[in-house]
Amino acid sequence: MSNSIFGTVVVYFRSVFKGAWSIVGSCMTAFPYIFRWGETRKEVTEGYPDPVSSKTADDLLPRSRGLLFNDIDRCTGCRECEKICPTQCITIEEEPGADASKTWVSVFDIDFSKCTFCGLCVENCLPGSLVHTRQYEGAAYNLTDLVASFGRGQITPEHRAKWAALRQMSESDEVVL
Amino acid sequence: MTSGILWVISWCDSIGFPSDLPQWFYALVALICIFCFVVVPSGALLTYMDRKLSADLQARVGPNRAGPSGIFQPLADLLKLLQKGSKKEWHWGENLWLGVHTMALYSTLAVMPLGSLALLVDTEVSAFLPYWSALVLALGTMLLGLSQGSVPGWFGGIRVAAQTLAGSFPALVALLCASVRAGSFKWSVLAASQGFSPWTWTVASNPFETIAFGVFVISGLVLLAIPPLDGGLSTSDIHGGVSSHLYGRRLSLYLFGRFYGFFLWSVITVVLFLGAWRLPLGLSESLAESESYKLLAIIELVLLLFKTLSLMLLITWVARVNSRSRVDQITDFTWKVLSPFSLVALVGASICAGWRAFS
Amino acid sequence: MKSRNRDSYDSDLTLWEIGPYHGSLPAPMRMSLSLDGEIIASCKVETGFLHRGLEKTCELHPWQAVISYADHLDPEVAVFGELAVCLAVEEIGDIEIPPRAKSIRIILCELSRISAHLTFIVRMAKAVGSETIIHYVLRDREKILDLFELLTGARFSLNFLRFGGVNADVTDGFIERVLEVCEMIRIRMREYNDLFTFNQGFLNRTSCLAVISPELIRTCGITGPNSRAAGNPFDIRKNAAYLGYDELDFEVPVGRGEGGSIGDVHDRFLLRLREITQSMEILKQIAEAVPIGNYINPNIEKGYVVPAGEAYSRIESSRGLLGCHVVSDGKSNPSRIQFRPPTLANLMAVSYLVPGIRIEDLPVVLSSLDLGIAEADR
Repeated sequence: MSNSIFGTVVVYFRSVFKGAWSIVGSCMTAFPYIFRWGETRKEVTEGYPDPVSSKTADDLLPRSRGLLFNDIDRCTGCRECEKICPTQCITIEEEPGADASKTWVSVFDIDFSKCTFCGLCVENCLPGSLVHTRQYEGAAYNLTDLVASFGRGQITPEHRAKWAALRQMSESDEVVL
Repeated sequence: MTSGILWVISWCDSIGFPSDLPQWFYALVALICIFCFVVVPSGALLTYMDRKLSADLQARVGPNRAGPSGIFQPLADLLKLLQKGSKKEWHWGENLWLGVHTMALYSTLAVMPLGSLALLVDTEVSAFLPYWSALVLALGTMLLGLSQGSVPGWFGGIRVAAQTLAGSFPALVALLCASVRAGSFKWSVLAASQGFSPWTWTVASNPFETIAFGVFVISGLVLLAIPPLDGGLSTSDIHGGVSSHLYGRRLSLYLFGRFYGFFLWSVITVVLFLGAWRLPLGLSESLAESESYKLLAIIELVLLLFKTLSLMLLITWVARVNSRSRVDQITDFTWKVLSPFSLVALVGASICAGWRAFS
Repeated sequence: MKSRNRDSYDSDLTLWEIGPYHGSLPAPMRMSLSLDGEIIASCKVETGFLHRGLEKTCELHPWQAVISYADHLDPEVAVFGELAVCLAVEEIGDIEIPPRAKSIRIILCELSRISAHLTFIVRMAKAVGSETIIHYVLRDREKILDLFELLTGARFSLNFLRFGGVNADVTDGFIERVLEVCEMIRIRMREYNDLFTFNQGFLNRTSCLAVISPELIRTCGITGPNSRAAGNPFDIRKNAAYLGYDELDFEVPVGRGEGGSIGDVHDRFLLRLREITQSMEILKQIAEAVPIGNYINPNIEKGYVVPAGEAYSRIESSRGLLGCHVVSDGKSNPSRIQFRPPTLANLMAVSYLVPGIRIEDLPVVLSSLDLGIAEADR
């Protein structure tokens, strides 16, 4: 039949009809979306800085890995995070502190332009001072603005002098006692 | 003095212009009025509705910043485009297509049928003039691609030309189908042969006219490379092709030319097949008797624009949902499907018209 | 360069260099096409624009950080890179994986596979210029990414697998949400079919285009969905099961040639849709019975150093067979880590498939091969 003229004509008309029908079918599939019929056809986009509907930090899922924060008071400067970091985005400098048991973490910089938020540093932090915050809006105009500094700052001679005075005081106290 | 600019004269008089101005002045005012108060707002409205409709179809919000629910977004876009000046040097090839576009845009304003009282040019060949303008617009688009001097531009230009050549034949034959029924190529006669209710429209008069309507719309899309049949312009291998190097004012001019072609074709389709501006219940006669011409002109224009924009939105819907065809598939489709169907429609429509004339 | 121009004059062919960044290319790569009119006569593919030195970088970092690098082997489907490394290391160290960890890993893998195939649909839709379905599919993939975030804390670079298990246990309600998402995608598949599979315009664009033949599969070593679409039922999950895939009941779909010939673009598209269905089947079976127990082998501490030895692991990623060769000499860093990405074979096939098609079909063919250039360039 397909070789006869009649068959060719039938095939021709069938293909025209199928084409037209499939276009109508596709249009009808999208039709309910115009009126948002049903729960599954709600609009999903939202304006970004929209205080009403936009996601806030509280809407984040519990394990979300946000920007990093280091509680410098608990940080021991053990450099575990610096060692494990795959992108070497953590820079640490530490100096001997007021007493020999504590180190003074003068520089603790995290370069968020390099960070991939893999979470290895948080996992390996021995004192548990490094944590993921629920902050995720870190866009900045300059690369240098992306560096977060948590360090205590370099030790100045005044610091040294003060600590020396303190140490002397405690030593002299001991002598007195 | 044609009846077409009577409304301009009466409006000019009511504003306070001196009454003995030459006719060319009124014609110029009419053209500027049509452009500024009909074509440009329709463009803005359609852009907005297109974006809102696509957003709805795609489960998005769509424009929502400029004005209440983003209604001024087209205006904001236009202002932004106009701010961007051209940094490139003057190039004669690009300015040639610019001229061609502009020519096609403004030459057909006078011919565009916008109501029984707003027919500036209502001659025996009126129906062919927009068709010619569509060809010129396509030529401008092709030249734009060729003047770009890059592979995407060349391919885009050649593809647009191929589409236009393929689409013009069935478009012309389908135009003849509508004219055969009305017995004229005059806008006024074409419109007068139809009524307000849908079963008095040309499209519903007999099955052949229905086929002709379908062919006319689709071949218009092919001829002007309008989505969904814009394979010559939108396929991702040439990413934009013809217009990929345009920005700023040139881009706005180009986009407006594309919109104008679409708009013009839809207006003609409505006038030829979808009952033009015919009002119900002898409203037009009673309004004309009571000499409220302004009201009559406005009501007719609103009805016409409503039909036109509905048709355009329908086409936009199809374009958003369906995938793009290749240019060779489009031209194949035009030659193998549209052309035979249009010829069948012409024969059938002629027989129907003859049968009606003799019975 | 000069001689090539002379060639092109003699043969009436046009040379067109596309790339590295171009709308028709799915990823940074360069193609030199010689065109006969609109038909591509021949093509050369040049890659390497996304080379990051991934394998070398792995050698410079401690074992623990290697996993976070394996994430970036193919950022779209991070878990497959991690899994390949973990399986190889577990073979070297003879580490036992608790059954619960295996289940969680399979859930992650199948979710990634669905997500990758949905991304494939998006690329196809973009190539054929269908706008609406892009938004539908991306909306549904978002749900899967949310699941990832719920389980691992990240949406793309998960860094969740560990040697001997996974990093954390599943949270409450995670399994139920997985099932919910499966159910939602099952409903949505009908929409995709209406908009795409049964659409005549899409059929015309894709049927009988760029047919992969069994010879080509052997020549280039094509694996994964592309080879299964050409009728070759090779799937590592069946042929050399890992993670307990052999205990699960699922089919390996093969191309049936609905579009006209077996192994064309339409077959590759349909096969991905069927694989999504099979992945959902697997997810349902897993979710019914997640074993109770440890989520990680308790004998493995954080700074685990892999003993000397080498191993090769094979897994079925969303694009095909992903192999990983790990060599350890007992130090804190790996001695060598080498990946066998499936995309390389697909890339080789491009220069066989592309000649004879029109340039308008080039984006369609390239996106139908599902090229993950990140894993090919590494």
